[in-house]
Amino acid sequence: MTARRDRLPARGRARAGVLGGLSHLALAVWTALVVLPLLWTFLASFKNNTEIFGDALQLPGELRLDSWGRAWSKAHIGQYMLNTVIVVSLSTAGTMLFGSMAAYVLARYRFVGNRVVYYFFVAGMAFPVFLALGPLFFVVNQLGLLNTHLGLVLVYIAYSLPFTIFFLAAFFRTLPDAVAEAAMIDGASHTRTFFQIMVPMARPGLVSITVFNVLGQWNQYLLPLVLLARDQDKWVLTQGIANISTLAGYEADWPGLFAALSMTILPVLVVYVIFQRQIQSGLGSGALK
Amino acid sequence: MTHPGEITRRQLLRRIGITAFAAGPGAALLSACATSGAGSEPSAAPSTSVAASSDPANPFGVDPKKPLEVVIFGGGYGDAYAKDVHEPLYTKAFPGVTIKHTATQQIGTQLRPRFVSGDVPDVVNNSGPEAMDLAALAAEGHLADLSALFDAPSADDPSRKVRDTVTPAVLDNAKINGKDLVLNYTVSHRALWYNAKLFESKGWSLPKTWAEFTALGETAKKEGILLFAYPGQKGPYYQLWNVLYTAAKIGGNQVLIDIDNLVDGAWNADAMKKSVTAWVEIQAKYGDKAYFGLDHTQTQVKQLQNKLLFYPVGSWIENEMAKDKPLDFEYAIAPIPDVTSSDAMPYGAVQVGVGENFVVAAKGRNPQGGLEYLRLMLSKEGAKGFTQKTQNLTVVNGAAEGLDLPPGLMSAARAQDAAGQNIITDARFEGWYKELFDHGTEQINVVMAGRVTPEEFCARMQKKADEIKKDSSVAKQTRSQ
Amino acid sequence: MERLRRYGFVIGFLAVPVTLYAVFVISPYVQAFQLSLTDWNGYRSKLTYVGLDNFAKLVHDEVFWRALRNHGVLLLVLPVATIVIALFLSYLLNLGGGTRGDGMRGVWGSRFYRVVFFFPQVLAVAVVGVLFKAVYRPDESGVVNGLLARFGAEPVGWLTEPGLALWSVIAVMVWQAVGFYVVLFSAGMAAIPKDYFEAAALDGAGRARLFFSITLPLLRDTVQVGWVYLGIAAFDGFALIQVLAGDKGEPDGATTVLPIQIWKTAFTYNKYGYASAMGVALFFLTVTFAVLTLRTTRRERIEL
Repeated sequence: MTARRDRLPARGRARAGVLGGLSHLALAVWTALVVLPLLWTFLASFKNNTEIFGDALQLPGELRLDSWGRAWSKAHIGQYMLNTVIVVSLSTAGTMLFGSMAAYVLARYRFVGNRVVYYFFVAGMAFPVFLALGPLFFVVNQLGLLNTHLGLVLVYIAYSLPFTIFFLAAFFRTLPDAVAEAAMIDGASHTRTFFQIMVPMARPGLVSITVFNVLGQWNQYLLPLVLLARDQDKWVLTQGIANISTLAGYEADWPGLFAALSMTILPVLVVYVIFQRQIQSGLGSGALK
Repeated sequence: MTHPGEITRRQLLRRIGITAFAAGPGAALLSACATSGAGSEPSAAPSTSVAASSDPANPFGVDPKKPLEVVIFGGGYGDAYAKDVHEPLYTKAFPGVTIKHTATQQIGTQLRPRFVSGDVPDVVNNSGPEAMDLAALAAEGHLADLSALFDAPSADDPSRKVRDTVTPAVLDNAKINGKDLVLNYTVSHRALWYNAKLFESKGWSLPKTWAEFTALGETAKKEGILLFAYPGQKGPYYQLWNVLYTAAKIGGNQVLIDIDNLVDGAWNADAMKKSVTAWVEIQAKYGDKAYFGLDHTQTQVKQLQNKLLFYPVGSWIENEMAKDKPLDFEYAIAPIPDVTSSDAMPYGAVQVGVGENFVVAAKGRNPQGGLEYLRLMLSKEGAKGFTQKTQNLTVVNGAAEGLDLPPGLMSAARAQDAAGQNIITDARFEGWYKELFDHGTEQINVVMAGRVTPEEFCARMQKKADEIKKDSSVAKQTRSQ
Repeated sequence: MERLRRYGFVIGFLAVPVTLYAVFVISPYVQAFQLSLTDWNGYRSKLTYVGLDNFAKLVHDEVFWRALRNHGVLLLVLPVATIVIALFLSYLLNLGGGTRGDGMRGVWGSRFYRVVFFFPQVLAVAVVGVLFKAVYRPDESGVVNGLLARFGAEPVGWLTEPGLALWSVIAVMVWQAVGFYVVLFSAGMAAIPKDYFEAAALDGAGRARLFFSITLPLLRDTVQVGWVYLGIAAFDGFALIQVLAGDKGEPDGATTVLPIQIWKTAFTYNKYGYASAMGVALFFLTVTFAVLTLRTTRRERIEL
């Protein structure tokens, strides 16, 4: 391949150098756009109110760590983070299990009512969630699941199903029939065929929709607001952030707010960086099928 | 700088001790019963009244074992006053009882479904941007009648009824559809707030007329200070209040009463137009449009940095900003300057009002406990504890006695004293017709930014008021004073 | 027998998801549709039916139409801006380095860029909202205005000028979304056989030509998937707008969208019936969008 470069005319190489520079410039600009606000948040957590409302581009006068302590103890970030991790891991697992089961059946089996059930799910993508908030509260309440993580997990699963099924049904449809048929001929049951043959084959699609669901459920704000309202020790992160953001307004503790924000941002970024290879390759191959 | 009335700190403290600000000369007006005898019903009520049952220590017959649930709005006052003062009072009265305590900023989102489903907390501090529509709750019979509370013996002195221990405005503001359903717990003073120490160091005096006001604006401008600012985010209602109170100063309290009663053309009143026009001019000449994008705490921090002189707010600001207040900053209240030479109320008029709603759920598990909780809140100990925790006054007479109050509250006391009978009333459509109030908080930014004329602002508000008046689904309230 | 086994399997696999979905999603929405025909105020225990009154009122509601107009803008600008920027960046990442090294490896450090670009996507909307409130602050304490002040420019009311506010909000949405689509498109570009480019480059095709005649056509499917995702996102925007611009869609309703109006009408003014009617309208709009888009994309294979 290196030989090929030598075959390019010199003029072309020079142009490539200039364009390469320009490319880097454009990429660097977007990198700055992404990183600077985050960096600013991080720095703001060391500032005091006067500095926060002074020149935005000034560095904090000293390294004040007290706001981190305040945010940790008062905003219960650790507790909320743990709750969120519990809820989101359970609900994402549930979403993937039930979503892929339904999608598989809908995509690859002919039966009476297949289309009806499919549209029944897909129509859910068009529902604005907050419209259901009031009635949903009563449904969850009647089931005795109000203010429980289990209730929230089930609701998350239910609301993630439409998109998951929509996406995975299309994915399962693209998988070749031969392997599944061979397995069936070998005497594998439908269930075994699904779990042992189809799921591994669908792995890229599953990964990318998992990422999608984790992000969506991690970000969910309205549902926990209504369904976990009463018990503050069960809250998830978004509730905590909204709460401390309102509190910052009342108590004028802006450094505390930015410390709490940093605290929620940092671990997520770390987890993301650790898993970014899987996430990116999963997303890529999933979307291409 | 001279203080009107020139009373000594000692005298003042004593006066507050006796009146908690609200039973003094201004209190009669505050009660909205213009007679001077507002607080002078037979005060030593016989302890044999219905409410005062056999046991004056437990007039509502509370079951001492029944748990109580209390929901507090976790806003500017925090919730420590409930957790550390009021709830311990209740558990002291009924040892071993459990109290479920919740603090939230989303009162409506959290509680509305619970009211509909019948799983209601006993005591609710209905406040904040998501406060519930009390008229709608009342229509469904969700609110306990508080007349039993007002007629119950006071926790401090069984020979007195609760109604005689509180500032009379409480009783007037308790009514929804003619019934006593809401307890307003705090007393606040609203006008313009400024840094007394800055004025002292610059040798400035408070402007009494609009000409003096604008002249000071020029002076301040040269020093790089804004004459006036209000928060365009989250707090534009501070400015809505300000123009309403200014209109009342120009045209008398009737202006606000008419607006509350949805009287035809009330928003188009001359006083209203003059008030809006005057403030729009101030904003245009001495304001800064950046504040349209700042919220109340951000604006308040700017004031602490002496970037603006006057800020329209209430006496709670001192406590709200206590943590950030530098030593060379001292909050003080400034009455709204005379807008015209013929204002209905003379210079010095300030708004004094009751606020911070507490209700008891009628269909809860423990309504008697709820009433008892409010009765304990209204004890001297409960009220004093609130003032200590929040540096704000309660409606309980004499409850601030012996407390070392901060300078801002003292200045409010002096201002009320100086105002005498000239107390600006509160605008109640804020609670009655939330849609109208919300429209106002939106439109005030529009007019202050100069995107519509003051006349257009009044016309838009009038249009909305007319719509509400016609809307049969909105329960209507009226006030006479 | 096999038929029976098949049906047993199908029912077994569908039972749980269908039940969950029916209980937690469908039943609340059926109730919401029912409420849209009433004047329920959120507290009353009895429902009074008012027929289609709420929908009739909707037609004359200025704010409703303003919200619809904003949806239109969002629906157009958000996908277009995001996709254009993401395509541009991923093109630079994948092909900006030219035909150097072992083929189309992209510019130096492309892995790093891709990781960084994805950051905003992993932040909760609540976090992004609070963060950008600080970024957009209307004086020199805001990050953007602080930068402008360095160049002596007057501060701009990014969120307070009615003509600017919606664009500022859209910019944040684009900011957050771009990384996801860079990854998506990058993967798509990586899958394009390298020979195509090499052959074309040898024929003297410029980068722009390469992009428009090879990359874009081969990426068509992926771009369309992106369009659907973004279209759905454009119908929401509730959390971000509420945090950034306030719950009235300030200023002057310039940033309001239907979710904001529904929220306010239901929870602030206690007009649940009317709010539900808005929700029903929004439902039909989203359905229309979804059907129209899907009809024109390759997903029509799913027989929509």
